[in-house]
Amino acid sequence: MMESFYDITLNVHRYDPDTDKRWIDTYQVKAGRIMRFVDVLRKVNDEQDATLAWGSSCEHGQCGSCSMKINGKPLLSCELLVENAVHYFDTTTFTIEPLDVAPVIRDLVIDTDKAYGRVDKVKPYIIKPKPLGEKGEEHQISPEELERYVDATRCINCFCCASACISSHHNFLGPNAMLAAIVRVMDPREQEKQSRFDTLYSENGIYRCHSSQACSFVCPKEIDVAHFIALAKNGEIKPA
Amino acid sequence: MRNYLKLDATMRCDVLIIGAGGAALRCAAEILEQKPNANVVALTKVSHPQKSHTSTAQGGLAAVDPKDPLDSTLFHMFDTWKGSDCTADQNVVKKICESAWEQILWLENRGMHFSRDPQGRLSKRTFGGHTRNFGEASVHRAVFEADRTGKGIMDTGWGETLKRGITFINQCLAVELLIKNGACSGCIVFRQKEGTFVKILAKATIFASGGSGQVFQVTTNCRQNTGDGLALVLQSGLPVMDPEAVQFHPTGIVGPGILASETLRSVGGILRNAAFEPFMVNYAPKMKELAPRDLVARAIESEIREGRGVMNPDHNIPHVWIDLRHLPAEVHEKQIPEVSSFFKRYVNLDPKTDLCPVRPSNHYHMGGIPTNEYGEVEDASQNIIEGLYAIGECAAASFHGFNRLGTNSILELITMGKLVADRVVAAIEKGPSHNPESDGKRFIERFSGYLQAGKKDSLGLIRSSLRRIMTENVSVFRTEKGIEEAIQILSELKVRAENTALAGRSLAMNQELVQRWELDNLLAVSMVICQAALDRKESRGAHFRDDYPDRKDEYNHHTLISMIDFGITESGRREVDMSIFKAGGEQHEKFAIIERKY
Repeated sequence: MMESFYDITLNVHRYDPDTDKRWIDTYQVKAGRIMRFVDVLRKVNDEQDATLAWGSSCEHGQCGSCSMKINGKPLLSCELLVENAVHYFDTTTFTIEPLDVAPVIRDLVIDTDKAYGRVDKVKPYIIKPKPLGEKGEEHQISPEELERYVDATRCINCFCCASACISSHHNFLGPNAMLAAIVRVMDPREQEKQSRFDTLYSENGIYRCHSSQACSFVCPKEIDVAHFIALAKNGEIKPA
Repeated sequence: MRNYLKLDATMRCDVLIIGAGGAALRCAAEILEQKPNANVVALTKVSHPQKSHTSTAQGGLAAVDPKDPLDSTLFHMFDTWKGSDCTADQNVVKKICESAWEQILWLENRGMHFSRDPQGRLSKRTFGGHTRNFGEASVHRAVFEADRTGKGIMDTGWGETLKRGITFINQCLAVELLIKNGACSGCIVFRQKEGTFVKILAKATIFASGGSGQVFQVTTNCRQNTGDGLALVLQSGLPVMDPEAVQFHPTGIVGPGILASETLRSVGGILRNAAFEPFMVNYAPKMKELAPRDLVARAIESEIREGRGVMNPDHNIPHVWIDLRHLPAEVHEKQIPEVSSFFKRYVNLDPKTDLCPVRPSNHYHMGGIPTNEYGEVEDASQNIIEGLYAIGECAAASFHGFNRLGTNSILELITMGKLVADRVVAAIEKGPSHNPESDGKRFIERFSGYLQAGKKDSLGLIRSSLRRIMTENVSVFRTEKGIEEAIQILSELKVRAENTALAGRSLAMNQELVQRWELDNLLAVSMVICQAALDRKESRGAHFRDDYPDRKDEYNHHTLISMIDFGITESGRREVDMSIFKAGGEQHEKFAIIERKY
């Protein structure tokens, strides 16, 4: 018979911007087996401590707002069931920390604007679009061509990869930012390629990657981020 | 009054958009394309525009490809009208359907990664209610980006606005609308990160603040969809339209509330109650599981009400089972892999061997801030509020009437976003001056009240009570008695909320303070949903009254409802635009008041 409830212990890293103090609070929670960590944190808010700040939005793995580190692993807390966490980490005690990709604002909430600033730098849009067909019809992109880069377009900028990456975000724009740049190099509708190569192969670009493949390992969308970075390193990302 | 509650700064801009989802970004991008020097500011409650609820839309975008010999815009217009249960406004339906393909090309040329057919053109698929020749046969009308069409729109809209120099203010709340003499001059904004209040003055203010799904216990909507725009409008003495028109999907997955799609039933999934009995045969003896959405939703809710549901202890919500165990492995692997993975991920069950828990889930709010066909907001007497616009799910123009067709929602975002941008550009070019400023003082009273309340309670538990009573009494089934009971409970919860002390009184990133404000919005929106549902003594589209199960011609109009004080409402009506019918063109009779039967 499987357990219907788990008595879990959360050690949560706290930060108060008003006093600039950091500490760890411990919460004991009786958690149902298929409660997700977002549900557990909500239960803490409702029943024990309304001041604990954390972020979420869609709560089903599509927006990337609820990423945090649980027992050291960056993940989406809306996708982690209590039962699975107990088995995966082989413990009922969990240390919860904010992602270390930007300054902490309060508790588990980080300054996402700062983290996104690195994605903005790679220009995540088409700089110079190829004109539509003669009669104003859509472009022709074969399913095979799209298939080469479509996985990279699935990134939701949850920054789990950036947190897991062994290169520092202080000098590397990050695996997710690299993906955004690679997408537009491979997208046949983008005519401006040179400035994208300049960014990719810049001081803060892909050569900061040490090929640990931690990005691929933690990606909640199961994108093989390291594969795309390897393609870029090998000069294999030009459109077909 | 606490002295730290004050205005910290005043900003000025040309266009202020409250929201940064699909409608907001399409609108902003168009304004900036047409007027590159315009100063456009977009506010969002989430940490970044990409986190908006639009990102979760899966299915597709309905748009008739002019190259398609089988389909026509007129058929799309008819399907929308019929689906709306004859309560959509035909002038809006015409505008949106006619501009649809052009907007698809806009997205295509700005980098959206649409799925492709073998020729490399945009791939299309069919959805329920997409027909040719006025219901004769289904058509392939929806373009899509795999199962992440909304994300494609968001990535494209965000990229384009970033490219053209928009200013985003992330993680903030619009807490008070500045309206004076029938004109809007902007709003007061609370910046969560800094904990400061800022006045933002604008030549045009556009609501694009999204839906209100958090009113209900199980919803596909994101945590941020607390009906803030509707509540803000109500606080300003303006009406909302058709709040009782709320769409539910019959099979949401217990836990995250996300959809276990129709496909599960079409491939042979069987709904079972607590005693494992297949119950659809008792409600739709012939169609069984394949009966229309609303009928299936009511059947599930009936089983639950009559005590044949199963209580999930972790999420404290009753449900029924969907049984997929008998389906061949090939069906599991080829036809329903995504949904199977949802069950695995969120309830840790394998549909091949386990029964899976589902129940009706709130999905979409057809009602909203009343606007005309240009997205200009109207007051209760249908006068335009100068400088104020509304688009997207928070608005009701109304494209969807009392029931929305699948794939029409994200189409509305991009078409109305563009149409309103055209209007706004013309308006800001015309007038150099800002509308008369109003003071903006009510927010101080409101937030001081939140910070000064002193009774020990739990906002989370009050919110849960609200969501439970709205789900039990005012969702799929509605009766006079049930709605009246809900109104009574909402009034009690309002008092409790007002007295509840906050655990922390800091202003900077105080999540509890934000949730206190959201609770007020949920209460206000719930109250107008109840009042409008009570007044509409008929059943129409998604609004089903157990005690008045038929549609009645005397209710062929929109509801307009304002709130003078909490629980004290004033109702009016707006005629449904039937301009396609009245124009008397070819096939105009299809746009008369017709039966919604499939």
